Amino acid sequence: MPPVRGLREINKMLASYRHLALTALSRALWPCVIVLFFIGGTGIVGSIAAQTRRRPRPSQPAPQTQAPRGSATRYSAFLHSSDKHKSLGCNECHKIPTAWTAKRNFPDAADFPDHDACVRCHRQQFFTRQAMIGTGPTICTVCHVRAAPREDARFAFGKPNNSAQQAKAKDERQFMIEFPHDKHQNVIAWLHVPTGAQPSRLRGLRQARTLALQSNERTRFVSASFSVPLDDKKPDYNNCSICHQTDMSLAIVALAAPNADPAMLHPFKSMPRTHDSCFNCHWKNQKPIATDCAGCHKAAATFVAELGRKRISAKFAHEGGKGEHVAECTTCHINITRASTTRGLTPDVPVNACASCHRDSKKTTYPKAVTIETELEQFKTTGNCTYCHTEDVGKKKPPPSHDAAVQ
Amino acid sequence: MKGKSPKEKGKRSSAKTPRFAFGKTLRTGFVFSFLLFTFSFLLFAQAPQSARGVVRLKVRYKSAAGMKDLPRKRFFLIAGSLDQNKSLLEKLKALNEPSLECFYRSHGASPALIKWLRDGDCESVYCREVEDKYLSGAEAVPEFQKAFEQALTELKDREVARRWLPNYLAPELRSGFYDQKQKTIQALVSEAETTTKTSPMSIMTDRKGTAYLTNIEPGIYTISNLVASETEKTSILWICEREVKATDLGTAMKRPMILSNENDPKVKCEVIEKPLPVCN
Repeated sequence: MPPVRGLREINKMLASYRHLALTALSRALWPCVIVLFFIGGTGIVGSIAAQTRRRPRPSQPAPQTQAPRGSATRYSAFLHSSDKHKSLGCNECHKIPTAWTAKRNFPDAADFPDHDACVRCHRQQFFTRQAMIGTGPTICTVCHVRAAPREDARFAFGKPNNSAQQAKAKDERQFMIEFPHDKHQNVIAWLHVPTGAQPSRLRGLRQARTLALQSNERTRFVSASFSVPLDDKKPDYNNCSICHQTDMSLAIVALAAPNADPAMLHPFKSMPRTHDSCFNCHWKNQKPIATDCAGCHKAAATFVAELGRKRISAKFAHEGGKGEHVAECTTCHINITRASTTRGLTPDVPVNACASCHRDSKKTTYPKAVTIETELEQFKTTGNCTYCHTEDVGKKKPPPSHDAAVQ
Repeated sequence: MKGKSPKEKGKRSSAKTPRFAFGKTLRTGFVFSFLLFTFSFLLFAQAPQSARGVVRLKVRYKSAAGMKDLPRKRFFLIAGSLDQNKSLLEKLKALNEPSLECFYRSHGASPALIKWLRDGDCESVYCREVEDKYLSGAEAVPEFQKAFEQALTELKDREVARRWLPNYLAPELRSGFYDQKQKTIQALVSEAETTTKTSPMSIMTDRKGTAYLTNIEPGIYTISNLVASETEKTSILWICEREVKATDLGTAMKRPMILSNENDPKVKCEVIEKPLPVCN
């Protein structure tokens, strides 16, 4: 057939099909065809849109001034401290809760803000030709592992993050947590009497084990695990244990016999690391509430999170002492109930607190090896205090306070 | 050229003399200041921690069941003697704060809630976790049940709802008593700050009624719990005076300052003990 025919010929051909349009059957079918066309078309468009759009678009906020163009590297890190960012309220970007069911079992700020939070000011950094050169828009790597249009993977937001997301190479944070121990000590009861099928200490250990699984950032200590026998006689000081449980992620090597004490494997207490600990009371109504981020998160120029505190008496086992470490936490941590901030906070346990039991003049059931006097004697012969201290501290000359404590 | 006359030579030598004297003075000054610096450095370096003072408080009270330690009560250290803080102390004595039971009753709290608070020595519901047995059954607290239902509707998860339950209680039942007490304490602390130009230090007793006030500038201080502490049947307000001397912790541990509701001639204390009011 020749490729082009005359108009007359085309009309003739169409006329030969006109009889179809006039039949009753075709009359009934045409509306169906139109409806199907619309449904199909909408479906195709919808599926394309679904592939492009990852999250539902939130309601459009007030238009904002676009950030000026700059070098790509300038936008490779997000600074909460920039003038523009400082002028915004936290909840203009961070929505609480985020898709919490996916990451936590409680409502939480569990993920980075939505695209819209960035794009409304940084459109140029995302979509200009310059941004697309090389590995893609650098601004994407603030949240995403790679800058690629279909790259969904994001860095871990907050810690611990149980979604097994990749952590940023440099763990530098822009906020410190402000926690007034004094106010919290005022309101929390001192003793929690375990009742029911699951005593609180066991629950504490379980929570601690969960923490252990979530944290793997220890280098100085060896990983170990053991089961602690449940001891209902030991009191649970709710004023501290409500936040600090035995830290099963941190372990030191157990001492050899005769001083072997399984509790020495995990001597320290954990610190709360999730909003869950705070939202118990501060989710709503009790200030600072969940949406008031600045109530607890205070801006810091640069802050490297310190996951483990510096240990001086690194071999002190809170759960140890052959079951005799039963004193209330505040009996040894003598200044904690007056600490209004966590800045500069130290464990603050004077050696006198240890000397109240661990000294020769005290009639205790402890073997001689655990008294401060013996430790001081040991230093004279070996130049190292090994019972209470690890080598880095034990090799230093004992401070005068130690002598004074046993006089 | 002729040589210089002896007069001129003399002039020259006399011109040299002050320069020499200045050098000598400089050297002496240097030695003196070095000694002064060394002395002050030694003084500073050797200034033991005992340049500051420590007070070990031991608070106990006599009740029908015998002598008991006063656990988990906050005490304040205010600069100045009892006389110097007279106006503030008069206000303390005049305070008429409601008891925990009266406060909660006046706000319509159920007897079960008041019992729950008293059992844990709690001033607010934040003081301990609400266990399952308080949500249903014989020991159920109606306020907790209502709040739990509301929390469960919003949070969906039963365990989260139980733990976050205090968020869903009415404010006056949640922490009304504690808030009111803190408001009074803060007002008194602010007044003490204004009067003494220093911030009062505060510390909480442990379960054995012991607390340490550390790193104190030597001087005379007033020690008080500001608002009377409730015991089983009475409320006790301590207003005491203590001269703090430079001492170390070890010495302070050996010599505690004992606060009691019994007369003790060794301690300069005014103890105001009142029976807990009968609530309407």
